[in-house]
Amino acid sequence: MLREKLNQLFTLYDPAIQTIIAEVLTLEQAYISMKTPHLKEPIDQIVTRIASKELERMDEHKD
Amino acid sequence: MKFERIILENFRQYYVQERLDFAKDNQRRVTVIHGVNGAGKTSLFLAINWCLYGEGVDNVGELISKEAIKQASPGDTVTMSVELSFLHDGERYLAKRTRRGTRMLDGSVQINSSDEFIMMRILWDGQAQSIKNPIGTINAILPSNIRSYYLFDGEKIDDFAKPEAAKEVKEAIYLVFKLETLDRARRHLETAASDYRKELKTSTTGELLNLLDEDEKARGELGKKENRKVEITAEIQAARRKINDIDQRLREIQNAKFLQQQRDRVEQDLKQRRSELEDTQNLIRDISTTSYYTIVQPAIERALSLLEEKRERGEIPSNIRRQFVQDLVAQMQCICGRPFTAGSPEHQRLLRILDNALPGSLEDDVLEITATLRAFNERILRQRSELTILMKRRAELVDLIKDLDAVSDDIGRQLKDSQFEEVSRLELQRENFLTDIDRYNIETGELTRDIEGLKEKIAQLEKRIAQARKNEKREKLLSIKFDLAQKAADAIKDMYQTYADDMRLRIEGKTKEIFKMLIWKDSHFRDVCISRDFELEVIDRYGRPARPELSAGERQVLSLSFITAMSRISEEEAPLVMDTPFGRLSSQPRNNVTRYLPELADQLVLLVTDEELRDQARANLESRIGYEYILEFDPKTSCTTIVEVRR
Repeated sequence: MLREKLNQLFTLYDPAIQTIIAEVLTLEQAYISMKTPHLKEPIDQIVTRIASKELERMDEHKD
Repeated sequence: MKFERIILENFRQYYVQERLDFAKDNQRRVTVIHGVNGAGKTSLFLAINWCLYGEGVDNVGELISKEAIKQASPGDTVTMSVELSFLHDGERYLAKRTRRGTRMLDGSVQINSSDEFIMMRILWDGQAQSIKNPIGTINAILPSNIRSYYLFDGEKIDDFAKPEAAKEVKEAIYLVFKLETLDRARRHLETAASDYRKELKTSTTGELLNLLDEDEKARGELGKKENRKVEITAEIQAARRKINDIDQRLREIQNAKFLQQQRDRVEQDLKQRRSELEDTQNLIRDISTTSYYTIVQPAIERALSLLEEKRERGEIPSNIRRQFVQDLVAQMQCICGRPFTAGSPEHQRLLRILDNALPGSLEDDVLEITATLRAFNERILRQRSELTILMKRRAELVDLIKDLDAVSDDIGRQLKDSQFEEVSRLELQRENFLTDIDRYNIETGELTRDIEGLKEKIAQLEKRIAQARKNEKREKLLSIKFDLAQKAADAIKDMYQTYADDMRLRIEGKTKEIFKMLIWKDSHFRDVCISRDFELEVIDRYGRPARPELSAGERQVLSLSFITAMSRISEEEAPLVMDTPFGRLSSQPRNNVTRYLPELADQLVLLVTDEELRDQARANLESRIGYEYILEFDPKTSCTTIVEVRR
């Protein structure tokens, strides 16, 4: 499957970056037939969610 | 995606309902639909496109069956729908698009609002689950903008092989291999990172650190002041104990005993008076703060005076109610019980009061206002009187305390000037301790003020620190968001070209492989390549570009090779639906294509004329055909019936 092939491209990157790319690609694909989709908000939601998890993880390591 | 079944209702020449099942077995994966020109092959092709994507198929005339419109009465609703069931990634889906219109008097149809599109996922237990975002789901399965590479019109199939087709080839690779998706994702992530960077620049870095520093200092200072206050309180208590000891000693010394006892009484008295003075001052303060309404007293008095004047002039009633006066007139009797006669001065006076009387409700209002104002006035007067008494008492107490202080000072002076050294020394010590206590009291006052100030400051700092902590967490999060978005965009940028080149080379190789398989002049053509500029080129045996010289049939085979190569390389399971695919092919290339095409698609749907598929071409497909239909067009009704000829 092409989706898996695309995701495999990024296996050497940090897992958080891989997740962001995979989710943003899925989102972009769902709106690919639109010329100018308004995806600012959903992309921010994806990045915020994954960044929050990263922050939690960093705080746990600090503790 | 593999098509399972299509049900058409009043779609173009498919009147009422027609159904068709698609072959989807691995061995028998070909569905052949025969139809003469105009029988409805293109309509069936359109029906699949319209059901899944809706838009873009409207410029082919009226979609609603003309027979259905004709059979409907004016005002009736005519319904057209296409239902398509398909399998994808191990799940079964149902998609249905419906259009409704109202039959008009002139025989036309007025479309009611927009088309209705629903999509359901069929669960393992047979239950249907509605899909909330059907358009997004279809785009994730087979995006609208790449459908033309899977569902294509055979007459346009050679588009990719035309000399000016580099743009189409590039676009096809971009869309099918999600390069467009990657590019959009990179751009959107870069925009997000840029927004986060701007937001970070406006943030208040370091504020929390400064506030924590300030808080630490304030708390340190508070601790010092509180400790000092405790020390001073202890000092005061120690000084008081010393004074008590001195007083005791003075009571024991014969020559000081009398004065000390006198001082004890004075101090006791002073203590009581000071306590009374404090109580009095508190009472004065209470009355002063709660009697703010005394400022309206002149207005109240003026209002009462006006009411009284009007009452005396008979313009408003006296304080006697109208009903009471009416009763007196009716009984012809005075309040005291004395009778009076009609026309007597008393009788005339009562009649005048009644003449000037106001309507009942207004009379009540006037009486009520007068009563309220009087009560208010009385209260003000009472409080003013209380205040006067308290002020007088305070002045008395102040004088009394002054006198007692003077007596106490005098006693102290006498003891200090005593000819007895011990008495004089003790009194001096006592005075020093009192001075110390005064000094400590002043310092306590200053410390109390400072402590309160510091506590207030710390409370404010705590609030600001809590806010700054929130801001700092937000900033931290923002910083991570920026980092992740930028790195994700950079990662896509880094991998994009590698991936694009890899895909281009793989399609190139597969196109060459398929082209060699399908073309009948395989020895004439040496190579097929896709340049970095996405030019699809065929190289002949002389090493020269041969594309401009390709025949229409050869171009069709080249395009077909490119399309099927994309399908194979993308590994996306998708049907290949071809409308009149072999129209331009002579028998040999047609034989080659029919021999290999079933292997190049997961599911093949061929919409063919009776001329397109016969002899060897038909024999090549024979073992792979799962379903076969004939579209029977009835010239009497202009409607088409789908007749199954093979299952």
